[in-house]
Amino acid sequence: MPQWAYLLIAIIVIVLLAIIFVVSFIFYKRTPPPKGCENIGPSEGKCASCNEKGCHFNIYYDKNKKNDERK
Amino acid sequence: MSAIATFLLAIVSAMLIDNVVLSRFYGICSFIGVGNRVKSAYSMGLAVTFVIILASLVCWPIYYYVLVPAGIPFMDTLVYILVIASLVQVVGLFIKKKSPALYKSLGIYLPLITTNCAVLGVAQSNTDSGYTFAQSMSNAIGTSLGFLLIIVVFACIRERLESSNTPKAFKGVPLALVTAALMAMAFMGLQGIGA
Repeated sequence: MPQWAYLLIAIIVIVLLAIIFVVSFIFYKRTPPPKGCENIGPSEGKCASCNEKGCHFNIYYDKNKKNDERK
Repeated sequence: MSAIATFLLAIVSAMLIDNVVLSRFYGICSFIGVGNRVKSAYSMGLAVTFVIILASLVCWPIYYYVLVPAGIPFMDTLVYILVIASLVQVVGLFIKKKSPALYKSLGIYLPLITTNCAVLGVAQSNTDSGYTFAQSMSNAIGTSLGFLLIIVVFACIRERLESSNTPKAFKGVPLALVTAALMAMAFMGLQGIGA
């Protein structure tokens, strides 16, 4: 096979990978989360009772708390 | 030595003796960030294991059968990033659609894997070291299991340290880094095995 054919295959593979990424990203965003998984992530109630001071959610909540107290 | 014994030895070597987190500092961000709870560390470790093995499975053939014949092996990093990002998205989509239980435990960690340098590092080292397909798979399995082991052990230690009486200045990340350094020294001791 000539060199240009290999190059063409390589370009097709790269473009295909980019298309797969974009399409799967769009589908991922459009797919609704399963039942019971709508609010996965940090919650203020749980974070307030957690003692992990290194966690960035706690740092964020602490900052907000201090700002509220100042006001 | 039989092929299976060599394969298993390579896995153990990549897992314990040449652990990527402690010897090459790959995946430190998720190691420090997620390694504070055993449950989340286990979920993250499993997800990384899955993606590292899958990425190595896809990247090795692309490098040797597409990039090298085309004369553009220098494009490997770009292609690996695309492969890893696509894989994570496709796996995430599949989990979101088909397995709510798995989505609940892995859901928030899946996008983080795209930025985990351990995944890219393994795919890159497989081709840079000139490994065969079997060698690259043993490297991927060993490395990912090593990551899982280290992050879970680290989370166990951090959970115990949380309840211990430590100086205020050391609480959180400083103590985590001291713990990681002590673990690295402990694992360095394994390098004498077989010498």
